[in-house]
Amino acid sequence: MAHPSQLGFQDAASPVMEELLHFHDHALMIVLLISTLVLYIIVAMVSTKLTNKYILDSQEIEIVWTVLPAVILILIALPSLRILYLMDEINDPHLTIKAMGHQWYWSYEYTDYEDLGFDSYMVPTQDLVPGQFRLLETDHRMVVPVESPIRVLVSAEDVLHSWAVPSLGVKMDAVPGRLNQTAFIASRPGVFYGQCSEICGANHSFMPIVVEAVPLEHFEKWSTMMLEDA
Amino acid sequence: MAGEEESDKKNGFKVLGILDVQNTPCAREALLHGSGGSLAAGLLHFLATSRVKRSFDVGFAGFMLTTLGSWFYCRITNAQLRMQQRLIQDGIKNKVMYEGTSLDTISKPKEQEPSL
Repeated sequence: MAHPSQLGFQDAASPVMEELLHFHDHALMIVLLISTLVLYIIVAMVSTKLTNKYILDSQEIEIVWTVLPAVILILIALPSLRILYLMDEINDPHLTIKAMGHQWYWSYEYTDYEDLGFDSYMVPTQDLVPGQFRLLETDHRMVVPVESPIRVLVSAEDVLHSWAVPSLGVKMDAVPGRLNQTAFIASRPGVFYGQCSEICGANHSFMPIVVEAVPLEHFEKWSTMMLEDA
Repeated sequence: MAGEEESDKKNGFKVLGILDVQNTPCAREALLHGSGGSLAAGLLHFLATSRVKRSFDVGFAGFMLTTLGSWFYCRITNAQLRMQQRLIQDGIKNKVMYEGTSLDTISKPKEQEPSL
């Protein structure tokens, strides 16, 4: 999860998010170099004693400052498109989970093998125990097996919501009457937090998402326990 | 221990307020190489021509080119290493899963002799 006053991304928990982080670093380095160049040119222009009121045109510099930005844009676009298509790859999921947005909670349905479904409400601040995170914890987590491709079908029962988990690199709008699909692989066990990312009313900020990635045998025990409790 | 690592991550130095040099792979090396290249190029040009302003320009161009070159080289090497790491990880996982079965690519199961 994010630490206080964090500006950058959270640590990646899926291969797609790792690629996004690397692309972000790449684009940021290019932005840094362009900013340094512009700063240097400003200082040079301001401090020069040379003046020429009669410059009309110059083919060479026009070519340079047309071709160079085009090259820079290609250098940014190629890795960007690579990741875009990587995110769209069909990856033969091991498990499909439906995430339904409501005002103001999420419900999850695991209907591949048995009929398992539960609601996930935020834990109110006064009910938190020491060690839990304010506005992020839920009473029931979405548990998934680690290192397995998971497909998430996202929709909503009332108004627009959005199912987002930053460390997994996942965000998908929940639109009533529409089924959106996204997928992820949790590359390490852990607990990953997210929050509703589409304004949906008074308690939009109070319907978090918690994904818990566990080894397969733990997932099987958890699903058996949830079915028995249902 | 975890707290110390987190505070190091929080306090990473950001060049121009943009690039976190400490926590971005290859950034520190690229900037250091760029600074070295800039110094070398500017100094050599000045020694050859004694033109101060132009030498600064050449030094800056050297910084840009060296930083970019070092950055791309380091990132490409990094990406190849990550790819190899992922292949090795998958190979180990498959080896553990399929060892002794017909799907094991390294050692096939022994053929049983027919009983008489």
